[in-house]
Amino acid sequence: MNTTRVTWQLGQGAGWRPQLDGAIARADGLGFIEVVAEAIGAHALPAGVATAMQRGLQVVPHGVSLSLGGAERPDRGRLAHLASVAQRVGAPLVSEHIAFVRADGRESGHLLPVPRTREALDILSENVAIAQDALPVPLALEHVATLVQWPGAEMDEATFVSELIERTGALLLLDLSNLYANAHNHGYHALESLERFPLERIAYVHVGGGCFREGVYHDTHADPVVPGVLHLVEELFSLTDVPGVLLERDDDFPPEAEFAAELEAIAGAVRHGSEHRVRA
Amino acid sequence: MEASTVSAPDREAYAARQAQLLDALLRGDEPPPGFDAVQAGAAGSSLRRKRGRLVALAWPALALELGDTFATRFDAFARAVAAPRSGLPLEDGLAFARTLQARAELGDEARAELLLARATLRRRGVFVAAAWLRRPRSRLLVVARIPRLGTLHRSLLRRGRRAG
Repeated sequence: MNTTRVTWQLGQGAGWRPQLDGAIARADGLGFIEVVAEAIGAHALPAGVATAMQRGLQVVPHGVSLSLGGAERPDRGRLAHLASVAQRVGAPLVSEHIAFVRADGRESGHLLPVPRTREALDILSENVAIAQDALPVPLALEHVATLVQWPGAEMDEATFVSELIERTGALLLLDLSNLYANAHNHGYHALESLERFPLERIAYVHVGGGCFREGVYHDTHADPVVPGVLHLVEELFSLTDVPGVLLERDDDFPPEAEFAAELEAIAGAVRHGSEHRVRA
Repeated sequence: MEASTVSAPDREAYAARQAQLLDALLRGDEPPPGFDAVQAGAAGSSLRRKRGRLVALAWPALALELGDTFATRFDAFARAVAAPRSGLPLEDGLAFARTLQARAELGDEARAELLLARATLRRRGVFVAAAWLRRPRSRLLVVARIPRLGTLHRSLLRRGRRAG
């Protein structure tokens, strides 16, 4: 097991997408961007990503297709690609999901949850170890938002994620929108759950937008960040300091001013939470 | 890390359970025993909506043509037809467009898009195809894909006038 210590500071981040290139290039105070590893070609980096690197922003490759929670061992080719992107952008770390995206040769097109069982933990731990061996930098694991849950859960999400982080020595990519979504849709208390995640293992935090449809919260990344998620940002920073917070927007891209305002709202929540912590 | 702690049969059973759930979600079928049917229905719709969104982005003319009906039509298609192994939205959309074409439900702009997609997705050999289109103007659209040259297309207007 290779336990990685969190030693770097990332600051405020944004998920780089071609449609946000201008908004990210002109955003104030960004410390890092995240690139979807599968969207990066085998040779050249997108111009906007290269420019961001020249400006001194750190770049974190974010994988979406390793299927670490799948029954198959992670694919060597996909791992090699993720490793290559990490090297080319000089990444301090990479991140992937606690999820499966394919089964029996069929692609889901999105991240699906794994059962919260000892058996799933065994398989996940082994897959994560294979990935860690193939990667040149530390790996952070992100828990996903899910509308559907497996029956027969042996533990709750915070315990499951803590166990996995403990066993593999991986870092945690805490997604506060996913936490909010799961708590809302599956009827538990987000803050109580937040406190039981391994907060000292956080590499960075994701925040994304979403919307409510018929009482169900959808983690769309195509809508503004809801107040309940900003509140969790504040609560998190009142509990602990965190190396970075990143805004994810994947669709229905807003005007630049709106994007900048979202970043500022997150920074505000970080400041408020930190002030509480320092005073306490 | 210790050597393998999980034996192969465990992975096989796990794979089968994941495949069962995945198929039910993708097709919109009843979920496996123990799952909440309402939750699974919502999760399945969400997967098909995401898949459709990517196809709409890769097929702008088709998406524009179908307008508000795109989502429901794509959902019906996605329940019946699995996404291509390549994962390419262009290829996924080609299968979708062909089902519409087979029912003569494809407008001219989308038919032009279909020809271009067929050419783009051709991986070897020469591809040449043509379609007579009436909108936005009467023309014969000729599309070719030639190795090392890429995809070429020319619109031949009536009365022999040529346009690019």
